[in-house]
Amino acid sequence: MEVYLPLLAQGLAIGVLTGILYVLVALGLTLIYGILHIVNFAHGEIYMLGAMAVLYLHVVAGLPLVPTLAVIVVLALLLGLAIERGIFRVLRGQWLQLVVASVGISLVIQSIGWIAFGIQEKSVPSYLPGIVDLFGIRLPRERLLAAGVAVVLVAALYWLVYRTRVGLAMRAIEEDEETARMLGVNANRVASLSVALGFVLAAVAGAFVAPVYSLNPGMGLEPILMSFLIIIVGGLGSITGTVLAGLLVGVIQSVGAILFGSEAAYGLVFVVMIAVLVARPAGLLGRV
Amino acid sequence: MKTAALVLLLLALVALPPLAEPYMLHVAIVVLMNAVYAEALYVIMRMGYLSFGHAGYIAVGAYTSALLATKLGVSVWLGFLAGGTAAALLAWLLGMVTLKLRGIYFSLSVFAFAEVVNAVFRAFDFFGGPAGIAGVPRPMFFGARLNTHLGFYYVVLGAAVISLGFLYRLAATRFGFTLLALRTRDTEGLAESVGIDAARYKTLAFVVSCFFCGLMGAIHGHYLRFVSPFVFTFFFSTDLVIFNMVGGLGSFWGPLAGAVLLTALGEQLFAAGYYKSLVYAVVLLVVILALPGGLIQLPRLREAWAARRLRWAKQPVVTTER
Repeated sequence: MEVYLPLLAQGLAIGVLTGILYVLVALGLTLIYGILHIVNFAHGEIYMLGAMAVLYLHVVAGLPLVPTLAVIVVLALLLGLAIERGIFRVLRGQWLQLVVASVGISLVIQSIGWIAFGIQEKSVPSYLPGIVDLFGIRLPRERLLAAGVAVVLVAALYWLVYRTRVGLAMRAIEEDEETARMLGVNANRVASLSVALGFVLAAVAGAFVAPVYSLNPGMGLEPILMSFLIIIVGGLGSITGTVLAGLLVGVIQSVGAILFGSEAAYGLVFVVMIAVLVARPAGLLGRV
Repeated sequence: MKTAALVLLLLALVALPPLAEPYMLHVAIVVLMNAVYAEALYVIMRMGYLSFGHAGYIAVGAYTSALLATKLGVSVWLGFLAGGTAAALLAWLLGMVTLKLRGIYFSLSVFAFAEVVNAVFRAFDFFGGPAGIAGVPRPMFFGARLNTHLGFYYVVLGAAVISLGFLYRLAATRFGFTLLALRTRDTEGLAESVGIDAARYKTLAFVVSCFFCGLMGAIHGHYLRFVSPFVFTFFFSTDLVIFNMVGGLGSFWGPLAGAVLLTALGEQLFAAGYYKSLVYAVVLLVVILALPGGLIQLPRLREAWAARRLRWAKQPVVTTER
């Protein structure tokens, strides 16, 4: 099969952009797993709610974008606090029950979503229409915007986790909970904060990715599959690993789609994941 | 007493259906299939492994049998066995490499496997692509095709009784008890220190689990008369986990109770679409939060609650995977 070089370069560029979008979606998941070791299956549904909130507040009700985002952040924060308090805290220490409960939360939100929002596909008009032409590689601006947001959020998360006292408390709890508690770290507060921040990251990701994909209550499933894959390949809980794996998966998917077709590329990504798990069970950059 | 009740139940399941309406038979067939899936999953849940990908093995069984029947004209009865065998073979291959992983890593790798299976079925025309395979025939029985619900009901009943009976006996064997010992990383280490080859036991348990999923999956495909990648989704896998958790992991009867009650309830809500998964999920959350141990704990509600309160106060924030 003949593949033209410009086509591959285009695929590579789109792959990198898609990868960054995956990183954006996976960040909150990495945070919650990294600190509390909870795999939050409801992440995709929070992402969906973020996108839906943009549709109803910004597009339908005409609220400007910045206040819309503020409302989304506050709502996600409250939802995160409520779920941590009402469900995750009760199930502490039982990984199986926690995972299954998060699947339950995801199913509840999704089925209420189907009932409330209907089955019709919806779309959000682009925040930044148009295409940037870079040496013959064409990149849609809205994806560049989302990628920019992703880069800012990754930097912010690094700063929070590695440069602030709150981040220090988070890492201390993860490293040695008993000692951290003895030194006066409020473990409950760390747990609440981590879950709430994870939820905010999910909702913000949904808000910025909304114009790129079409919206329906089931839209959270595919990104969350990809996010799991990315955080596993990268090493559960490692921010750097998540970023690397996101880019890798984006490129494999997009270049694979050009070479073998999109369904085969989708399968290929999962084969890569199983291979990584077998060769390095902790992921590319994970500790264990 | 217990045996008498079981014999009576079995007699009722054999004798009553000719009197039932086709819709009731349909519900009974779905209940029996889900009961087998749930118990098959229970084999590995009992040893502390959670799978979000059993629908992938069910799909492998369904597609194997459907392809053999439609492309090669192989007898449907042989197709059932081939479906189970194909699923078991794939479980053996995947199990060898992924059962070393514990906790969520294993769950997500099986989940990834199910996604690969689905992607392959959607991608290649040989497997019917996104549309799946139509015209999957019902089995022949003494020259007559079992096209009615009643005829097929007895096929499913037979398969379910054999599968459930086998799985029930298996849990009480030395093999079944050994699986219980592999539930945590610590006890697995202990088991290995007395000479138990944990890896072999785990692989075998996974193979058994997937064999019965594949077998019932093959029957499932012939019941629906078509197979499609959109039947065996992630939500199929989560339903099986929900049956297990709602019924309770404490005994063989838990997953069975969960599957029977929830499926019967879910079929009533079928016309209402998304209310079914809403009800499943709400029941799941209520049971996990308020009744750890599942529905089979109901007779000992007071003790379960006392244990729940004790456990809750002392848990660390960071959940370690065992």
